[in-house]
Amino acid sequence: MAALLTAYHSDYSQDMVIHPSDTVADEAALIGRAQKADARAFERLYRLHIDRVYGLCLRMTGNVSEAEDCAQEAFIQAWEKLGKFRGDSAFATWLHRIAVNSVLGRMRKSKREQDRILAVADVVPLPLETGDSGELRDLSQAVQRLPDGARHVFVLHAVYGYSHDETGDMLGIASGTSKAQLHRARRLLTQQLQQQEFKE
Amino acid sequence: MTDSDDDKLLQAARRLNTGIAPQRDLWPDIARAMQAPQRSWWTPLLAQAAAVVLLVGGSSAITYIAVKQPQVPDRQVAPALVFEQVSFGTGYELGDEFVAARNALIKELDVELERLAPTPRAEIQANIAMIQEAIYEINAALEQEPNNTLLQQQLLSAYREELTLLRRVGGLTRDIMMRNDI
Repeated sequence: MAALLTAYHSDYSQDMVIHPSDTVADEAALIGRAQKADARAFERLYRLHIDRVYGLCLRMTGNVSEAEDCAQEAFIQAWEKLGKFRGDSAFATWLHRIAVNSVLGRMRKSKREQDRILAVADVVPLPLETGDSGELRDLSQAVQRLPDGARHVFVLHAVYGYSHDETGDMLGIASGTSKAQLHRARRLLTQQLQQQEFKE
Repeated sequence: MTDSDDDKLLQAARRLNTGIAPQRDLWPDIARAMQAPQRSWWTPLLAQAAAVVLLVGGSSAITYIAVKQPQVPDRQVAPALVFEQVSFGTGYELGDEFVAARNALIKELDVELERLAPTPRAEIQANIAMIQEAIYEINAALEQEPNNTLLQQQLLSAYREELTLLRRVGGLTRDIMMRNDI
């Protein structure tokens, strides 16, 4: 794990930027047009945000097909609810909330989650194509093996940078529960990575 | 696990990719869905209003039968069965009473939700949306097979879940109001 975690340079703030060439004003204009049922403007918003929305869905579900469904559903719902967007939060945050609801709703509805847990217990899941390079791939795969509650909190808080309040709000849990799940996730991840290092 | 390891873990987590391009372009499917008639609140609420009215009507009819014919117990019919047949058989139409009930329910639901804090409101809206999606899908299937008993039962069950949830919304907001009043 030491090797995995030594090299660190923070590009996190850069990650939070949606697109270098699109300013907040541009996005606001696109939102305004999309709210007037301009599908082309909404498509541009989709192009701006799809990678982060899909990434969130993929890391939360751990399944390509479900992540695609969730991302699609999130954008369809966003289109339907766009009239209610008042700009109280960033558009990306608003979209992410919808995406998280989509993920949680699908999990509850289909009960695939239970099947997934059983599958995880029995077989090693296929590694997801997350684009993580080198040793970060080990961490990415370890995250996929976390139990749902811990994984969801870890992804939202540690990977996407939401506060515990925001994470709890998105997941419908208390802020304290979010903290507890993060602690659990960190402990499990450390164990996994240490075991992996030992095997190697 | 040391604090140092812990920090490194979080630092590494922040270097994970947050933007991952899907393997295929999802836009065409989204665009198609955007062009399709929007799944409005009205359709499921209309159906829900119909279910409420028919439930009341069905219960009244059963009560009437039970009161009027207590000496013939073997002729009584299970309430759920009567409701299903009345509600979801073929040739079912909405009348003015249904529309009025629908309007009242919509108005009441919006008011009740407005009284809730954001978190429970979001949870309830998500749950309602989930149930309504189920109702929407079952209704779509029933269009193909209007006399499918299993689908009718599933639809009835979905309506019941929705009604339970709506009653819960009322309970939640009443609790809040009582606290505020104090």
